[in-house]
Amino acid sequence: MDLTARLLRAAAARPRLLVLTTPGGTPVRLAVEREARLRDWPVAATPADAGLLVLAGPGHPGTAPAVERLWRDMPGPRARLHARHPDEVAAALDAARARLASPDLQRADAAARPAAPPPDELPMAEQGPDRDGLWLDRLHVPLGPFLPDWPAGLVLRLVLQGDVVQQAALAGPAPVPGPAAGAGGRFWAEPWLRAAAGEPVTIGEAARRRAAAQLDSLARLLALAGRPGQATRARRLRDALLAHAPEPAVRPAVAALHRAVCRWGTLRRLTRGLGVLSTAEAEAAGVSGPAARADGDVFDRCREWLECVARDVRRLDATGPLDPADPVGREGPRGRTTGPLPPSVALAGLLPRLLTGTELAGARLIVASLDPDPDELAAAGAELAHD
Amino acid sequence: MSTTAAALSLLLLALLAVAAVYLAHHLVRLPGAPYAGPFLSGLEPAEHAVSRYHVRWYTVTLLFLAFDMEMVFMYPWTRVVAAMGTPAVVEMFVFLGILLAGVAHAWREGALRWT
Amino acid sequence: MTDPMTGPVAGRAAQPVAEAGAWWAVPAAPALLLGLAVLTVAAGAVLDARDAGRAVTPRTALRPLLDVAHALVRQPRRLPASDRLLWRLGVVTVPVSAVLAVLVVPFGGHAVADPSVGLVWFNAMEVLTWAGLWLAGWGPNAALSLVGGYRFLAQGLAYELPLMFALISAATGAGSLRTGAIVAAQQDLWFAVWMPVAFAVHLLGVLAFSFTGPFAYPTGRDLAGGVLGEVGGADRLLLRAGRRLWLAAGAAMAVPLFLGGGAGPGLPAWAWSLVKTLLVLAVLVAAERRLPVLRADRWVEFAWVVLLPLSVVQALVPALVVL
Repeated sequence: MDLTARLLRAAAARPRLLVLTTPGGTPVRLAVEREARLRDWPVAATPADAGLLVLAGPGHPGTAPAVERLWRDMPGPRARLHARHPDEVAAALDAARARLASPDLQRADAAARPAAPPPDELPMAEQGPDRDGLWLDRLHVPLGPFLPDWPAGLVLRLVLQGDVVQQAALAGPAPVPGPAAGAGGRFWAEPWLRAAAGEPVTIGEAARRRAAAQLDSLARLLALAGRPGQATRARRLRDALLAHAPEPAVRPAVAALHRAVCRWGTLRRLTRGLGVLSTAEAEAAGVSGPAARADGDVFDRCREWLECVARDVRRLDATGPLDPADPVGREGPRGRTTGPLPPSVALAGLLPRLLTGTELAGARLIVASLDPDPDELAAAGAELAHD
Repeated sequence: MSTTAAALSLLLLALLAVAAVYLAHHLVRLPGAPYAGPFLSGLEPAEHAVSRYHVRWYTVTLLFLAFDMEMVFMYPWTRVVAAMGTPAVVEMFVFLGILLAGVAHAWREGALRWT
Repeated sequence: MTDPMTGPVAGRAAQPVAEAGAWWAVPAAPALLLGLAVLTVAAGAVLDARDAGRAVTPRTALRPLLDVAHALVRQPRRLPASDRLLWRLGVVTVPVSAVLAVLVVPFGGHAVADPSVGLVWFNAMEVLTWAGLWLAGWGPNAALSLVGGYRFLAQGLAYELPLMFALISAATGAGSLRTGAIVAAQQDLWFAVWMPVAFAVHLLGVLAFSFTGPFAYPTGRDLAGGVLGEVGGADRLLLRAGRRLWLAAGAAMAVPLFLGGGAGPGLPAWAWSLVKTLLVLAVLVAAERRLPVLRADRWVEFAWVVLLPLSVVQALVPALVVL
């Protein structure tokens, strides 16, 4: 009796995924998340816990080294797949699971791993002054490109003293070469970009996309705030909207989510005063949209999203053409799309200042509450690179 | 069976169970032990992570130790308080009051301020 | 009376208490604990499935156990300059201390042992998790794991004192540190009724030393798993098992401390213990899914400035009552 083979097959019945999204890969990521939710395949946080590396989106040379490093760090049994299109996700997941369950493949992979250790030339942490004038050890810790519930591709280089962010610098994402930088590569802003290019887009379609985008952001924030159940409900609603669910089917669920998030004010109390951004500061930095309107902290931005979503789901069936005078037409999920740069560029630009001096968990919540869209950042990087 | 024997039996049982898990893992796992880096979102570390941590842990720890020492007295105190009567209660809670005043002072000085 | 210094409350209801239980309690207690721990995993899986919109079938509840197979076939990994000895020591400490804690938890009329310092024993075992989780965070030489380990210390420095005062409130009410005597002292009125703050603080403490729900901060999603981020294979299995074993042990301890142990009409004592333990576990599983994560920058200050004085005042109440 080959016990290892049996256990491999049993484990492959519930693979643990490490989902890595490349710029322009949002629709593929959404398909992967939906399949994972329906199949009960958990989304792991690190290679140590994951067995199936899922690369979602078009190939991207800028993040390829990080992908390979994470693949190297993943112990066997392991399998990887690269889905470039949402339609191929289900079949690719099935095929990868079959590879995970194959004792021959897994034994061959395990035997082929290099036996020599990599050279270890790391220095110990050096020191630097802290806020109180003390001299403390500091660590250089990057957040991104690939972190759970993080705008994939965004890289923030932090200098940490303990768990306090002493400095933060924006260092990515790398720009996207070629056609992925176009409207097709910016899934969430697509209806507005298409309308601006003169194509017919209905208000209902744009409202649907914007509500889904903001539910997607909200899900990341809720997951980081320690409410995985509510995050799952937000993702379900997002998927329902993208699957053209009619208004009566989603409206009660949106209202229920709103109530659940705000209940007892616990989330409000726990995020009060975190990442405060007034409307004036936001507009001075070029930010438009919900982050500017919220005029406050992490929770205010969270509530602004919930209210935007509630307004948008009432317009799902509006058939009029999208035009800039309309409240839906004026701005995409992250703000006005008519400026010289996508709205996420201004959002990401705020991060170093807002994160300095915060505790790491608070810093993650601030990033999630602004949630710059990595597709927009990468497209902007491409535009800047062309200039 | 005495308490000591019971505690040791329980410890032995727990350690045997742990050993069984490691043994099972050793017997059925895939061969080899690949080298890996610590998870840093896909990037390489710049230095060793083990380091002296932020100083504010130590101020909170000192505050904690003051109370923890006091607990050493309070456990036996629970058993004699009824027999000793009012003076025992007064002494203990005056002492606790002094410690709480210390907490209030440390709080005002910012010892519990996190960022 | 075996305890010469039990107070009047305990004296009224004192029963002969044996120092140690029957031999079969030694294997039975950890087996029961493991059963309760698996039950919390199954309950979590069912609630997860409901949230995710999947059909709930009997298989749903057991699917998380496939992770055991996954853990057992996993290759171990070698991390640069990791401290493997301390790392493993930390990982093993968590489940082993949870099992040791049930030494003094009576179930019905039976306990593995009922020493005169039972409460201190439980407290000491729970504090062992501090060392365990911190070492588990320190061992892999990974920044996010290290932050996770220290997060648990910050959490512990804040929850431990209120929890100790909660335990002491129950001990003062009974005039004894023996769990059997504490159960006996509640024959007329459960401690949960007249020490509600101590009961609530104990439940918070259980979530905290199980590092779950609002206290999942050391293993936070924002740290990519924190202390759990670099562990795999058998180590991961043991650490995750330790977490659920502690949740079950804490719930089982709440029953003798605050809910009158096995006392109740109609049913035998063991059945009442089981029913009460399951109810406490249900409350804890619901709470761990409802409450957002308490970050240290909010929790430490709250615990020291609000919870600690409250639990000191709560400890004063039984002290005045037993006079």
